[in-house]
Amino acid sequence: MILTGPEIIHNCRLGKIIIDPFLPENCNPNSYNFRLGSVLRVYDEFPLDPKRPNKYVDLPVPPEGFVLEPHRLYLGHTMEVMGSRYFAPTFAARSSVARLGLFINLSASLGDIGFIGQWTLQLFTIHPLRVYAGMKIGQIMWWKPQGTIRLYEGKYQGSSGPQSTLIYKDFERKDAQDGRRSA
Amino acid sequence: MILTGDEILREVRRGRIQISPFSPERLEPNSYGFSLASDFIRYDAAVLDSLRERPRQVRFTIPESGYVLEPGRFYLGSTVEIMGSDYYAATLYARRSVSTMGMWIQFSAPLGHTGAIIPWTLEITVVHPIVVYPGMLIGKIAFWKPLGFKQIYAGKYIHSTTVVPSRIYDESEQVQEGVQR
Repeated sequence: MILTGPEIIHNCRLGKIIIDPFLPENCNPNSYNFRLGSVLRVYDEFPLDPKRPNKYVDLPVPPEGFVLEPHRLYLGHTMEVMGSRYFAPTFAARSSVARLGLFINLSASLGDIGFIGQWTLQLFTIHPLRVYAGMKIGQIMWWKPQGTIRLYEGKYQGSSGPQSTLIYKDFERKDAQDGRRSA
Repeated sequence: MILTGDEILREVRRGRIQISPFSPERLEPNSYGFSLASDFIRYDAAVLDSLRERPRQVRFTIPESGYVLEPGRFYLGSTVEIMGSDYYAATLYARRSVSTMGMWIQFSAPLGHTGAIIPWTLEITVVHPIVVYPGMLIGKIAFWKPLGFKQIYAGKYIHSTTVVPSRIYDESEQVQEGVQR
């Protein structure tokens, strides 16, 4: 079951959903609109290899905005720290943003119960597009789970700013533990 | 309602969710992590015709040493795991560690049907060149409790054993009948 906007507000007040800063006017009928943060991250050495750390540079989004170019990946982040120990999150572009030809995630809309931090956005645009820090770019939805909850303890917990992939840590662990890993 | 990792484990043990091979370490708070098989397909046609039989395709296997996926190309891959349930609906996603490298594993098609218990074909493209390895953790599957009388999938991909290209051409007759109605 998906939570309604009033239920999201209710659970934020109870502390069972964390959205910080929280603006009640950014609530939708069944989601909450989050804003784009002020830093973008781009990789600058290819091919990307999941077995090793990949080099990147961080770029600030200036007040006059930043033009995203097609055929490039920009990692962005939400201004808000968001998460819940009680509900499973999914996130999506706002329709107004999708209509400009912008993806904010690449087939990766499901989050984890217990992750609390700024969310990393995967920005990919079809046309050149100027974006601004603080614009409402996406929406987060909350789903009631069935079963006992084991909280997220993964490598992105508590993220601040855009996070490039840390997938190489899985391979280090795999090498160390003969194929076994944890979330 | 979405199942928690513990609930997925419980249902696997009860035989109501199938995941094979299954490893409890791959349980996430509300999903299960699946891995990339070595079998790939690439279409080999200037124009894909949705109702023509079997688009030309190239099958290939990615080696243990890795394979570089190139931007501007479209690949079909597969999960290693046979996964599904006669009791729950499924959705499939890229892992965050994979999507933040600039890789899609499905194209606006996350929903899997109740009753489809198969290795899942993945729609893959990349923004930048990316090395992929067979067996790497690539995505996560979530299970959802449905509401209503049960209907079990019996569609054209039910007997999948590996990556399967589109078989929408099977619907050619339906389309021709449909336009006459």
